[in-house]
Amino acid sequence: MFPDVVIIGGGIIGCSCAYYLSREGVKVHLVEKGPLGSGASKAGEGHICLWEQPEINLRLEKASRILYDTLSNELPLDIEYKRTGSVAIAESPADLRSLEQTVRLLQAEGLSCQLLNRDEIAELEPNLARDIAGGALFPEDAKVQPMLATIALAQAAKKNGAVIQTFTEVTGIELSTSKAVVAVNTTAGRIPTKAVVCAAGVWSGAIGKMVGLDIPVIPRKGHIVVTEPVPNNVINHKIILEAGYMQTLGAEGGVAIAANIQQDHLHGEILLGSTREFAGFDCSVNPDVIEAMVARNIRFLPCLAGIHAIRAYAGLRPYTPDLLPIISEVDTVEGFYVATGHEGIGITMGPITGKLISQLITGQKPDLPLKQLSLSRFNQT
Amino acid sequence: MEEDLLICRCEEVTLKEILEAIKEGVRTVDEIKRRTRAGMGLCQGKTCFRLIARILAEQTGQPIEEVLPPTSRPPVRPVALGILASTEEEEGSDVP
Repeated sequence: MFPDVVIIGGGIIGCSCAYYLSREGVKVHLVEKGPLGSGASKAGEGHICLWEQPEINLRLEKASRILYDTLSNELPLDIEYKRTGSVAIAESPADLRSLEQTVRLLQAEGLSCQLLNRDEIAELEPNLARDIAGGALFPEDAKVQPMLATIALAQAAKKNGAVIQTFTEVTGIELSTSKAVVAVNTTAGRIPTKAVVCAAGVWSGAIGKMVGLDIPVIPRKGHIVVTEPVPNNVINHKIILEAGYMQTLGAEGGVAIAANIQQDHLHGEILLGSTREFAGFDCSVNPDVIEAMVARNIRFLPCLAGIHAIRAYAGLRPYTPDLLPIISEVDTVEGFYVATGHEGIGITMGPITGKLISQLITGQKPDLPLKQLSLSRFNQT
Repeated sequence: MEEDLLICRCEEVTLKEILEAIKEGVRTVDEIKRRTRAGMGLCQGKTCFRLIARILAEQTGQPIEEVLPPTSRPPVRPVALGILASTEEEEGSDVP
């Protein structure tokens, strides 16, 4: 009668947890304060990226991409998944040298990728600016429509018997005297349960506080500009990023900007990013930031200048201080699990996160070692 | 009403697709947009959002104000990226 697990958060992470748990026969009740995918899941570009470091990130990404290969057939909706590959641009010889290291590391992990000199990148992407040092091709990368993936995972979970309850906010979590989860209180009533998954993205800190935990996730704002649909040959690989993108991950103050050009392979519009800044929960669009971001993209793809923007928006990524997600059980609160803090790679890592959480809860051996991703890593000073 | 009636002309979304989304349990114009692409095209929902809001209100019994999107996104009309990237040039170009 009561659910085995209550999942807090209906983004890509929560819906993926709901899907993989319900597939194991676990009775799931997902609670989401708004509509599905209304946090970071709705704000990204849908790049399934397989070149993030350190090694644990790469392994999560690789495992998740493999899950997407089969998920796209398992799910009840077309999630517009495609192995498009991606191209990285090295502006300077120094960028090219650091990209070479990434390429070597990925090759050592068994991923196919290739360093490109100036002529080779021009041949792959003739519309790119010519004054760049080179780049790299990552053929394993893919694209997915993040909202459809989120909704499809929720629908599939529902078919497996999960309850998906939107527009319902969690107001508190009841613990027993021995600090075990007893129930979740919501704006729509009390749900008795023995287990909770916090998949609340940028709002995870508030959920953690309800059980006396410090979940160090803070919002990291990013802007996106969407263009009118353009022909497919403007860019051949649907994802083009400047290699410096990876450096913006570690930026601390101000607004870090890196060119990130991604075309929807079915509908033709281009999404331009990317920015990173700490601005609390503010999602307003800053015209100065848009100006600089668009200029950075035009610097690498000059023909963008004549293409029209139809929309600009900003969203929030769930950032953790060490740029690793938290996929974890919690020693001090029995039945409390954490699946959050994926920053800009939640869409990439959604499926593997859901599968790992399902393995933790059902007592199976996780596909990957989770020590580096534990919540307790933040308390060890 | 005919089910193949186009509600969003930019993205060619039919009444049938909108009704299916409502059947799945969506309650707001924003959710319809994210599921069907209605309102994501060139006009950014200037035509279809009101229609969708009316359909939603009729089907779900909610007041129209509750189903409409809370925000409209900049820019108000399509603008060339070259102009977005250089505000000064745009202002300068008015000078003969």
